Amino acid sequence: MEQVGDFSEQKLLLQAVFERSFEAIVIIDRALRFVEVNPSACELFGSTKEQLIGQSLADFFTSPLNLEGQDITRVKIRHSQDIIKTVEYSEVKNLFSEYNLLVFRDVTNLQRAAEAELHRQHQRVKLFSDVTLKIRQSLQLKEILHTAVTEVQRILQADRVLIYQVFANGTGMPISEAVLPDYDPILGVEFPEEVFPEEYREMYAGGRVQAIANVHDADTGLAECLVEFMDEWMVKAKLIVPILQNLKSPTDEHQSPDRLWGLLIAHQCATPRQWTNFELELMEQLADQIGIALSQGELLENLEDLVEERTTKLREVNRNLQQEIKDRLDAEAALRRSEEQLRLIANGLPVLIAYVDKHQRYRFNNEVYQTWLGLSPSKIHNCHLEKVHGEEEYQQIREYVGKALSGKTVTYETDIVLLDGCMHSLSVTYIPHFNERKKNVVRGFFALTSDISDRKAIERMKDEFISVVSHELRTPLTSIHSSLKILATGKLGNLSSKGQRMLKIADEQTERLVRLVNNVLDLQSIQSGKAKMNKTACNATDLMIEAAQTMQTMAQERGVKLFAESVNFLVWADRDYIVQTLTNLLSNAIKFSPPDSTVWLSAKRKRQRRTTVSKKSIPYITFEVKDQGQGIPTNQLESIFERFQQVDSSDSRKKGGTGLGLAICRQIIEEHDGKIWAESCVGKGSTFYFTLPAVI
Amino acid sequence: MSDKHILLIDDEETIQEVVQVGIEIETGWQVAIASSGIEGIAVAASQQPDAILLDVMMPEMDGISTLSQLKANAKTQSIPVILLTAKTQAGDKNLFQSLGVVGVITKPFNSMTLASRIATMLQWEL
Repeated sequence: MEQVGDFSEQKLLLQAVFERSFEAIVIIDRALRFVEVNPSACELFGSTKEQLIGQSLADFFTSPLNLEGQDITRVKIRHSQDIIKTVEYSEVKNLFSEYNLLVFRDVTNLQRAAEAELHRQHQRVKLFSDVTLKIRQSLQLKEILHTAVTEVQRILQADRVLIYQVFANGTGMPISEAVLPDYDPILGVEFPEEVFPEEYREMYAGGRVQAIANVHDADTGLAECLVEFMDEWMVKAKLIVPILQNLKSPTDEHQSPDRLWGLLIAHQCATPRQWTNFELELMEQLADQIGIALSQGELLENLEDLVEERTTKLREVNRNLQQEIKDRLDAEAALRRSEEQLRLIANGLPVLIAYVDKHQRYRFNNEVYQTWLGLSPSKIHNCHLEKVHGEEEYQQIREYVGKALSGKTVTYETDIVLLDGCMHSLSVTYIPHFNERKKNVVRGFFALTSDISDRKAIERMKDEFISVVSHELRTPLTSIHSSLKILATGKLGNLSSKGQRMLKIADEQTERLVRLVNNVLDLQSIQSGKAKMNKTACNATDLMIEAAQTMQTMAQERGVKLFAESVNFLVWADRDYIVQTLTNLLSNAIKFSPPDSTVWLSAKRKRQRRTTVSKKSIPYITFEVKDQGQGIPTNQLESIFERFQQVDSSDSRKKGGTGLGLAICRQIIEEHDGKIWAESCVGKGSTFYFTLPAVI
Repeated sequence: MSDKHILLIDDEETIQEVVQVGIEIETGWQVAIASSGIEGIAVAASQQPDAILLDVMMPEMDGISTLSQLKANAKTQSIPVILLTAKTQAGDKNLFQSLGVVGVITKPFNSMTLASRIATMLQWEL
C-alpha cells in the first residue's frame, strides 16, 4: 500500500473506509449509546443514523451485552422490524478515551447456509444409513442387489438403475434393475465385450467413477459403439461407479487387491442430466456397501458351504457310527446266538465238557455234569478239582492235570460209577489252552470225557469172538493137518503119484491157513494192546542168529545163502517179538530171492533226534535185512506195510504169504517206539530197516 | 525106541484120533484117551502115564482146573503135563508156566512131529 502523506489525506481515507465498509462500524460512549454509525450499521440495525444516535446499543441485543468478553463475539440482535439477526462483533478498545469502537458483521445468512448444509448432510447420512440398513438386512445376494437398485432409483429419481456383473471373460450382464415403466428393461441382456473393453475394466477396477451428463457430448470420449449401444436403450446420461470386492478372507493376514465385481449404473433416459457430487458420493458409498454386502454374502455362502460340508461329514460320521453300532449289535447278537448254539451243542453232546483254569478251578461245565455225575455246573463253577472230586479221585487225576497244564495233550481211561449206579468206562482227554500271545504259556485246559463203555463191551465181545473162532478153527485144522501128515507117511497105505500130489497141495494149503489164523490173531492181539511187550536188554547178534537159524531150513530149500553179521549191541526189546519180526523179514527176503543169491542180516548203531517221546538225542540200533530179489516199485514202499497189501496180488498164492506179515512187523516195531521202512531198486533187490532203542 | 505111555485129555474126538495115530505111527508110544478133565484125572491116577497132554479149552472142567487138580493130587502131581492150547498170548504163557506145566504146544500142530516135540520138552530120547 502506498504510504499516505498527511493527516487530511488519512482522514479522507478513513472516512471512505468508514462510509463504504460492508462491516457495520459503531462508536458508542461509555453509556453504550450510539455516537457515530456508518451506513452498514444503519442497515444492520434497520434505522437511520439519526434514529440510532443517542439510542442505547443494549436495546437491540436479545441478551445482556457484555463488552468484556472475547475478541469476537457472536450475538443475536433485534432488527427494528423485529427481525432477529445473528451478528459477530469485535471491540476496538482504548481507541478513544470516552468512546468505544465496535465492528459488527451480519452472519445471519452464513449461519443459515451452514445450517442448510448441515441439514443436507444429515439427510444424506440418514438416507445412506437407511439404504445401507436395507441392503444389510439381507444376506441373500439377489435381495441385496434388488434393494440397492430400487433405493438408488428412488433417491436419484433416475429412469433406470442397474447392477451390471462383470464376468471373468470380459463380458457382463445386468443382474438387477429398477426401471421406470416407460423404458425397456435391460435386465439379462448380455453386453458384448466391445462395449466394455479391457481398458474400461482396468479403469473401473482402479476405482474410477464416470459421470456422463450427455452421452452424445464429444468430451465424454465414449466409443462410438458404446454410444450406439446407449442409443439403443435410449440412454441420455449415465453415472457409473464400480462395485469392488475385497477378496481378503477372515483368516488371510495379507491384504488382497480389490476385484471388480460389477458396476452400479444410473441411466437418465428422458433428458441429459448433470450429476451432482452428492449423487456421485451416494452412488460410490452404496457401491461400497454393495461390495461389503457381497463379500459378506459370499462369506456366508462359503460359511454355509462349509457348514453344509461339515454337516454332510457329520451325517456321514453319524451314519457310519450308526452302522458300526448296528454291526456291533448284529455281531453281538450273532455271538450270542453262536454262544447259545455252542451251549446247546455242548449240553446236547453225550460227553462231559469242561474248562479248567491254571489254578485247577472249573470255569465251565456242560449240563451233562449234572446228569452223569450229579454235579450242578453253577455249583461247581470256580471250585477246585480236589474240592469237587474229593482227595482220592483227585490223586488219581493229578498227574494228568499236571501234564495238561505243562502244555501236553493227555488221554487216559478210567472206570467210574455214574449217577445211574452202573460202572462206566470213560475216556478222558485234556487239551491245553495256550495264551494267544505267549504261545508257551498255558492258561488252562479243556477236559473232554466220553463214555466208552459200549466200545469196551464190543472190544470184549470181539476178543471173545476171535478167541472162540481161533479155537474152533484150530481144532479142526489140527485134525486136518495131522491127518494129512499121517497119510503122507505112507504108513496107512500108498497113494498113487497123483494122489500124493493132491495130498501135498492139501498139506501146503492147510499150513497156509494155519499161518493166516496165527497172523490174524497176532495182529489183533498187538493192536488191542493185549500183547504185552516184555522188554529187556537183548543182544542184537543173538536176536539175528536166532532168526537166521529159524529160517536156515527155508533158505537151504530155496538155495539162498543167509548171512548174519556179528555185532556187539544191546537193544531194549521183547525178544520173542523181535525174533518174530526178523523171521518175518527174512522169510520175505528168502521167498523173493532167486537161487544162489544172498540175504544179509546186519545192525548198525546210529543217533537220531526223537520228538515223539523225548526231545533228547538218544542212540538207537538200525537192523537191516537185504536181499537181491526182484525189488519193490517206489510207489509201493509205503503201502506194503498195510494189511493185505502185496506188491503183486498173486504173491500170496505163489509164495504162500498171508499179506499180514509186514503189518505185524510194523505194529511190533511201533510198540518198541521204533520205525520200520524199506528201500528198493527194482530188479536189484530190497533192504528192510527197523530201529530199536539201544541200551547204553 | 523107548516105550512111553501118554495120556491125552481132550474133548475133541478128531484130535484124540490124529494124536493117537500120529504118535503111535511116529514112535510106537501108547496113547490113552480121556474125553474130559474129570475122566482124565481118574485115568491119570489109575494108569500113571509118563506124560499128560492136556487141552485147555474143554466144557465143564477146563484144562486149568484139571491141571490144578492134577497138581493137587499126590498120585498125579509129579506127572509132567504139556498143555495143548489155541491161546498164544504172552500173558497166558506166563500163567501156564506158573502152574507148573513143562511146555505148551499151540494148536494147530502136526501130530507127526508131536512126539518129537514132547521128547524135546521132557528130554526123552527117541
